[in-house]
Amino acid sequence: MAIEREEILPKYWYNIIPDLPKPLPPPRDPPDAEFSRIDLLRKIMPKEVLRQQFTVERFIKIPEEVREAYLNIGRPTPLMRAKRLEEMLNTPAKIYFKFEGATPTGSHKINTALPQAYFAKAEGVNHVVTETGAGQWGTAVALAARMYNMESTIFMVKVSYEQKPQRRTIMELYGGKVYASPTNLTEYGRKVLAENPSHPGSLGVAMSEAIEYALTNNYRYLVGSVLDVAILHQSVIGQEAMKQMDILGEEPDILIGCVGGGSNFGGFAFPFLGAKRGEKFIAVGSYEIPKFSQGDYMYDFPDSAGLLPMVKMITLGKDYVPPPIYAGGLRYHGAAPSLSLLIKEGIVEWREYSEPEIFEAAKLFAEAQGIVPAPESAHAIKAVIDEALKAKKNHERKVIVFNLSGHGLLDLPNYESMMKRLSK
Amino acid sequence: MTKMLVSYATLGYPKEKEYLEFIDGCVKEGSDILEIGVPPKYAKYDGPVIRRSYKQVSSWLKDIWPLLKETRDRVKIPIIILTYLEDWLPVIDDFLSNLAKIGMDGILFPDLIIDYVDEYEKYVKKIKDHGLKAVIFTAPSVPDPLIQKVSKISDIFLYYGVRPTTGVPIPVSVDSLITRIRILVDNKLVVGFGLSDVEDMRKALRAGADGIAIGTAYIEAIEKGGVQDAINLVKYFRGVLNEF
Repeated sequence: MAIEREEILPKYWYNIIPDLPKPLPPPRDPPDAEFSRIDLLRKIMPKEVLRQQFTVERFIKIPEEVREAYLNIGRPTPLMRAKRLEEMLNTPAKIYFKFEGATPTGSHKINTALPQAYFAKAEGVNHVVTETGAGQWGTAVALAARMYNMESTIFMVKVSYEQKPQRRTIMELYGGKVYASPTNLTEYGRKVLAENPSHPGSLGVAMSEAIEYALTNNYRYLVGSVLDVAILHQSVIGQEAMKQMDILGEEPDILIGCVGGGSNFGGFAFPFLGAKRGEKFIAVGSYEIPKFSQGDYMYDFPDSAGLLPMVKMITLGKDYVPPPIYAGGLRYHGAAPSLSLLIKEGIVEWREYSEPEIFEAAKLFAEAQGIVPAPESAHAIKAVIDEALKAKKNHERKVIVFNLSGHGLLDLPNYESMMKRLSK
Repeated sequence: MTKMLVSYATLGYPKEKEYLEFIDGCVKEGSDILEIGVPPKYAKYDGPVIRRSYKQVSSWLKDIWPLLKETRDRVKIPIIILTYLEDWLPVIDDFLSNLAKIGMDGILFPDLIIDYVDEYEKYVKKIKDHGLKAVIFTAPSVPDPLIQKVSKISDIFLYYGVRPTTGVPIPVSVDSLITRIRILVDNKLVVGFGLSDVEDMRKALRAGADGIAIGTAYIEAIEKGGVQDAINLVKYFRGVLNEF
C-alpha cells in the first residue's frame, strides 16, 4: 500500500506556461511606479519560489524532502466515486472527485505552503510570514512552518479573527503567532489604526502588513494563490488524479473546479489540459462575485494594497469589495493569469452560481456522500450536478471529475446560518 | 565566429553631450550593434533603472529627431531603435518612414509579441515595407511554436529576454531557458534582460547564445560614476565575449 502511494505521488510539478496557446503577458510595474514591485518580490520571497514563479520549464523536480512531507500529510489524497450522488440524480454519468479535504488542514492550501516553507528553510531563514482571511491559508502556513521547524507569523483579518476563533486555535496549536490585522507591529498597520482605531481589517491591509513585517525582519513571505507558482505546486492534485483514473481504467470527459484565485482549479485541471485529456473544463465562480461574467481582462494588481506587480487577468478591479458570501475563499477580485488566458481563449468554460444554489448542492452532496463540502467547493458540486443532469437528458455516459478542494467542517456556523435563511 | 555585443543607450541620457560620448565609446570599445531607447509614455516591460533614465530624459528632451539624426551621423555600426508600439500606433507610418529617412537600420518593439500577438505579422510587414529591419523580441513565456515562427522573420537576430523585466536579477536558470529555445531558432540569438552578471553571460553563451544585449548595467554605471565608467564596462563585456 505504501509503495502504491509513493507511485501515485508525482516526482515533478507540472507548469502549464509552455503549453499555453499564447504568450502569457508578463507581470509589470504600474505607470509612474515609485518603486519596482518585481524587485520587492526578490526581497521577500524565497529565491527558489521566485525562480519557479518565472520559470518556463514544463516539469520541475519536487525535492525529496517535500515529497516526504506530502506523504506525511496523507498525500496522495483519495479519488472517490460519488456513486450515491449518481443514483440520486439518476444519471448515466459517472462522477468522481478528488478529495483535498482529506489533508490535515482540510484543504488544498497545504500543497504549496509546504514547498514554499521548505525553500525558505533551505536558504537559512527560520521564520515565515503571511496573511489570512478566513484562515485556510494561514492554517496551512502555520503547519508547513512547524513541519520544517520554523516560526510563523500570520496577520489575520480582524473581523475573521474575532468571528472565527476556532481557526485561530488551529494555527496556534501548530505554533503559529496570529495577530488581528491591523496591528501595531507595522508602520502600515499603525497608519491604518491612526486613521480608524476600529478598522475591521481587510485582506489587502493584512497582506501589506505581512510583506512589511517580512521585509523589515528579513523573514520570508509566502504567497497563497493567484501567482502561477502556487498553481505549479498545486499540480500534484491533477497529476495524482490522472494516475488514479488510469488505475481505475477511466478517461475523464468533463473536469470541474471552483475558482477563488485559481490555484485549486489550475492545480487540478492543468495537468489534464497539458496531457490533452478531457473534452470540457469548467471553472466555477460565485454569482455574487461576478468576475467571469462582468470582469475585464486587463492588467491589475493581485492585492488591494498594490504592493505586488500588476498581472494581466480577469478582474473586477483591485478596489472591488466582495459581498460577504460564506465561501470566503471565492471572495477575490481576480483570477490567475494563466487561467484567465485559457478562459479568454475559450479553452476553459466558466459558470457562476448563487449562494442558495450552492447551498442546495452542498446539502445534496452531504446527504449522498456524507462529506460536508467547503462552501467554495460546493460551487464545483453545483456545476457537476448540472452536467450530470445534462448527460441524463442527452443519454450520455459522461465521466465527470471534480476537485473537492476542502471540507466544510470549519464552516458549520456558516452552514447553520445558510440553513436558517435558505431551507424551505 | 565572434559573439555579438549589443549595447543599449537611452537616447540623450544623461545629457546630450555625455550621451554622444557614451555611444562613441560603445563603438570604439567593440559593440557590434547599438540599441537606442526612445523614452515611451509607459515603459511597461522595463525595470526601475531604465525607467529612471527615461524619466530623466523626458524632462528635457522635447524633440527626439535631431538627436536621433546626430546619433546616426556619427555611428557606422547598425542602430536598432527600441520603443513601444503602443505609443506610436496612431502615427506608425510617419514614425517608421522618418526612421528610415534618417538611415536607422531597424526597430524593436518589446510589446509586439506580447500585446499585439494576433496582428504581429501586419506590423512586421509594415516595418519591412518602410525599408527597416524588424527585430523581434521574445521571452520565455512565448510558446515554442510561436518562437519558431517569429525567429524565421526576425531580421539581424532574434532578441530573447530571459527575465520578466530588465535589470532586476530575478533568479532564472539562464542556461536551461536558452537550451530550450536554441533548438527552435536557426536565426542568430541575442539574449538580454537583466544579464549583467558575468557568470550569467557566460552561461548564456555556453548554452548557445550568439550575442548579449546590455543596458541596465551601463545606465547604473553612468548614474554612479559617469560616462567613462560605462565605457569601461563596454570594454570589459567585449573581453568576456571574446573568451568564446
